[in-house]
Parts: sequence; C-alpha cells; structure tokens
Amino acid sequence: MTLDIETLVDLYRDMWLIRAFEFGLEREFKKGNVPGMLHTGVGQEATQAALAAHLHATDAFFPDHRCHGINALAQEKHQGDGERIMAELFGRATGVSGGKGGSLHSANPEVGNFGDNAVEGSYMATVLGVALAYQMRRQPNVACCIIGDGTVGRGEFHESLNMAAIWKLPVLYALVNNGYAISMPVGKGHASADIVDLARGYGMPCVVVDGNDIELAYAEVQKAVDYIRGGNGPYFLEFKTWRWQGLFSGEFRPAEEVRYWKEERDPLKLARAKIIENSALTADDVDRIEAEVKAEVEGWIDYAKQSPMPEPAKATANVYVGWTVEN
Amino acid sequence: MTQSPARTRTFVQALTEALDLALERDPNVYMLGEDIGEMGGDFGVTRGLWAKYGETRVRDTPLSEAAIIGTAVGSAMMGMRPVAEIMFADFLGECYDQLVNNAAKMHYMFDGQFKAPIVVRTACGGGFGGGPHHSQSVEGWFLNVPGLVIVAPATPADAKGLLLASIENDNPILFLEHKALYRIKGDVPEGYYTTPLRQARIAREGKDVTVVATMKMVHEALAAAAELEKEGINVEVIDLRTILPYDAETVLASVRKTGRAVVANEAPRTGGLASELSAVIGEACFRDLKAPVERVTGLDTPIPFSLVLEKYILPGKEQVVEGIRRVMK
Ligand SMILES: Cc1ncc(C[n+]2csc(CCOP(=O)(O)OP(=O)(O)O)c2C)c(N)n1
Ligand SMILES: [Mg+2]
Repeated sequence: MTLDIETLVDLYRDMWLIRAFEFGLEREFKKGNVPGMLHTGVGQEATQAALAAHLHATDAFFPDHRCHGINALAQEKHQGDGERIMAELFGRATGVSGGKGGSLHSANPEVGNFGDNAVEGSYMATVLGVALAYQMRRQPNVACCIIGDGTVGRGEFHESLNMAAIWKLPVLYALVNNGYAISMPVGKGHASADIVDLARGYGMPCVVVDGNDIELAYAEVQKAVDYIRGGNGPYFLEFKTWRWQGLFSGEFRPAEEVRYWKEERDPLKLARAKIIENSALTADDVDRIEAEVKAEVEGWIDYAKQSPMPEPAKATANVYVGWTVEN
Repeated sequence: MTQSPARTRTFVQALTEALDLALERDPNVYMLGEDIGEMGGDFGVTRGLWAKYGETRVRDTPLSEAAIIGTAVGSAMMGMRPVAEIMFADFLGECYDQLVNNAAKMHYMFDGQFKAPIVVRTACGGGFGGGPHHSQSVEGWFLNVPGLVIVAPATPADAKGLLLASIENDNPILFLEHKALYRIKGDVPEGYYTTPLRQARIAREGKDVTVVATMKMVHEALAAAAELEKEGINVEVIDLRTILPYDAETVLASVRKTGRAVVANEAPRTGGLASELSAVIGEACFRDLKAPVERVTGLDTPIPFSLVLEKYILPGKEQVVEGIRRVMK
C-alpha cells in the first residue's frame, strides 16, 4: 500500500458517494422523476474520486456527461451542499444551475466546477482559456477537462492539445477510456486504442493509469497536478476503466467482458478488500460507512423531490447579461 | 459619449485606434487570432499593437478557429476581455459550435453563473472576387441564436465607437467588418468613446420611404437616395448597426412616418435579416404601409468568383433604387 489508511478510507467514502448517487438517481430516473437523459459514472468512481481529491476550489474542472459524482463531491467538499447537484438533475429551482442545465450542464465556479457541455469535447477548447487566464495572472492553478475516449475524434481534441502545448498552458487532460463511445469500440474509432499514442505527438507527459485502482489513480493525479502547478505546461492522463452502463437499449458487450469488469475490476470492491486487509476496520465497519453514505444520498434525493420547481417565467431570464429582450 | 475633435481616418485605422485604446485602458483586454501579431493581421487592423503590447496580449494562433473561440470564452469566464480575430467570416463555420453552443449559452445554461464577454472580429462581405469561401455575409447564420450579439458598423466613427462599446459589453459579440469598407475614410473623433449598442442610426432623414440597411448596403442606400432625390423621392436611410438584438423601435418609428419600407442586406434572401425585418415591419406597421415591404438582398446562391458573376448575385445601388421604385408605385 502506498496510501495511508485514513486517505484510503476517505477516498472509499467518496467513491461510495458517487455510486450511491448514481444508483439512487438511476432508480428515480426509471420511476420517471428525473427528466431528460441519464449517463452514469458507475464503474468509474476511482477516476473521479482521485481527481476530486487533488483539485482545489480555486482550480477549474470541466466535467463530462458521467460526472454527477465529481460534481457532487466538489459541491459537498467545498460548500457542504451536494444535494444541490441532485436538485439540478431533478430540474429544481434549488439546483446549482437553477434547473436550466440538468445532468449535462451543472456548474458552480465557486467549487471549481465549470460545467459540462453536452457537445462532447467542446470544452476542450474552453479549458484553454481558463488555463490561459491562470497563466497570464501567474496563478498556480490547474484547469482540468474530463473527457471520454469518444472525444478523441473531435477536431477540438487536437486543436486543444496543440495549443496547450505551444503555449505551455496549465491544463490537465483527464481522458476516461472506458472502451467505447456509445457502441463504437475505442480501437475501431481511433487510430490507436491507447489514446496516449495519439497525444504523445503533442509533446506533453502522457501517462496510462489503471482507472479502477484508487491508489494508483490518486498517485498519478498527484504527480500530474504537481507538474502543472510547477509551471511545466499541460499533462495527459489516460484512465483505463469501464462503464457499467451499456446502451440505453441494454447491454451490448460480451458477457465475459461484463463479468470481468464487474466481478474482478470493480474499483469499490478492490478498495474495500484493501481496507479490510490493511487496517483494523472490519467488514462490518465498512458496511457502516456505506450505509451512512447511502443514507446521506437518499436525503439528497428527498431534498431534490421536495424542492420547488423553477418559476416558469425564469425561462427567459439570463439570455443576455444586463439586457432583457422582448419575447 | 464625449466627442473630441474629429480627424479623417480609414475604417481600418479607426478599428486599430479602438483596439489600442482598449488594450491601454484595461489589462484584462487581450487579442488572439491568426497572424495578428507582428504581421498586424490580414487586413492590417492590429498593425503596431504587437510591438506596443507584446506577444502575451497580442497572441498569434495556429489555424485553430475552434480553439481560438474556446480560449476566448474560457478566459472570459475568468474575467478577461478577449478580442478574437477570425480572418474571414466564412471560417466561422469552423467555430460555429463554440459561438452558438458555448459563448451564446454560457450565461443562460448555468443560470447566470458565468459571463462570456468576448468580441469576435471578422471580415465579411463580397464584391472583390474572393469566391465562395472569402466573401459571405454570415449574419443569417447567427440570427437564430439568442444570447449572441451581432454588431455591424458602416462608418469609421462607428467602427471605433461600436468596437469599444463591444469590448466593454458583458455579452458575446460577433463584430462584422465588411471588407469593402476597410479603406473608406470618414471623420473619427479622437480618444476614447463608445457608440451605444442596440441603437440604429438615422443615416439620412427622409419622408417618403425608409431603407433599413447594414454595412456596405448603407452606402449603397445613401447613393440610391441621392439619385432618387433628383426625382423628388425623399428617402430615409437607417443604419441598423446592431443586427442582433436589433433596434426595432427606431425602424418601426421611421416606417410609421414614411409608410414604405425597403430592407437592404447583402446576405442571401431566404431566412435572413431582410426577411426578419420585413416580418417585424409587416406585423407592427400593417396599417401604416402603403405598399408591401421590399427585400433587397443577395440571391440564394453561393458567391461565385468571376466579378461578372458576383455582381449578378450581390445587391448594389441599382437594386436599392429598383426596390424603392417598387414600393413607391
Ligand atoms: C459532438 C457530439 N457528438 C455526438 C454526441 C452524442 N454522444 C453523446 S455521448 C456519446 C459517446 C461518448 O463517448 P465517450 O466519450 O467515450 O464517453 P462515454 O459515454 O463512453 O463515457 C455520443 C456520441 C455528442 N453529445 N456530442
Ligand atoms: Mg467511452
């Protein structure tokens, strides 16, 4: 073990929070309580928890469509009200984006959350500007974008890496390679199944990380963030992981693959075993942590359900800054 | 708007003055774009600014239009005031998503938590044999984008005042510079001043017919008005200046007065600014109108290269004269 046990338990709690959040959300979605579309981060908790652990409220991260978890973690860690992420997903007035954004557009710059953008990969361009502002103001901050393997096909992916490299911008690329973009296997959609092969040409450190091992993920994010804060320019991390959610229409991946990742590579199972093996905590103790976290998340769901809907007329507010336009 | 003594300046010089003043005044203002640094931009608008302010604030970029706008937006979310240059408006397709889905929605979709005060300067318009990819009038591509502002000056004085107002403004602004206007000269007040956005200018007063025009078409409309004056037709010309959200009040007041309207815009006809204004005038002034509103626009074709072909499809003074004659019948 490279991590001290307190940190590992904290990270376990964070990962559990993500999973409980997603499972609770999925349940409510199926009941019809959550409008729109739902992509969950189940299976990718270690990646998100490792990033959340190292990013400060004064840093910036752009979450992807499976990032309810890191959004909730940041919200809870820095402002103590993770329930406002849940409320946003329910389209409530108390949500972080006042119900205007939902799952794909939850933001709060006060906690470093610069918001998702449902056009995949598009904020790979935006992240450059945040990083440029840090650089021009000589602030030792990190601008991170969390992106799926699917975004590698976008022009912005290449424009972004190139520009970050020539300007030495403090950008952390956190690429979540979960093997597929909807149905497209990563090796079929891109010139290499290892995205670092493509990123390396842009001349920044490119590291492959086991995205399901919280210890390794935590350590690699630490290294990347230290490097960036030191003014050395951008850094590229490729987290190899796997998402539990298949297609909306169901599972399409081979049964053995599904079994392998869920049974043998579940980041929570792996971390749980490590905790029990390396500390005085028993299985019962860990069960208690899980139950605590789950109860907290259920409280968030209740909060979201009880929150008021937005005033309908608010739909025309904030189109322009300082101007109201006749409608 | 404090007006100091005016001097004669070209449209380009007026723009350069504005950028210089903005960079000098606010450390958050910076510029980025292709070849805008030492070279001074394709049309010379940023000439001298790289030497004066350095490469950090006058930044050359690769051919990465999406990254240019993305960088502008991200830095604007942090409180910077970027002025981006997209060399030709035709290339806005390369960063369309950044403008439409990011810049224009940044304030709205997170319920006011972010602002994206960017200015995107770009050279538009035809008439010089630029062909299909260096000549287009793109305002119609963006009219249907709430949250975006489109500013389009017609004179050197407005080029300066509107650019300074755009840089001061908290919204994302597409700032259109018609290439045919770059070399025109006019009186330009000295020093810092702003020209209000969302306020059309009455370029010429008249009582018989209103022509609402933008950019180069303002000058075509003024030439048409001078010609028709000889026949006793008294034309009012309105320079819209802000295309989105536009100043309906000034337009409608003028049409109520004259009872006739011609809308002159270089872009293709279908679904464009001329159609929009025609609809608004028709809805609001139906009972004041003595004739249906006329649209004077480009034809619904791409822009061909050969000057003869290009002239055939783009509107000019003659088309404005014909349009006015039709509503005067
Ligand atoms: C530009 C763009 N194209 C297509 C889509 C539709 N879409 C949503 S998610 C997705 C797949 C993304 O795959 P990946 O980046 O690997 O993320 P994952 O869902 O696997 O986490 C697609 C194609 C989109 N949102 N944006
Ligand atoms: Mg994927």
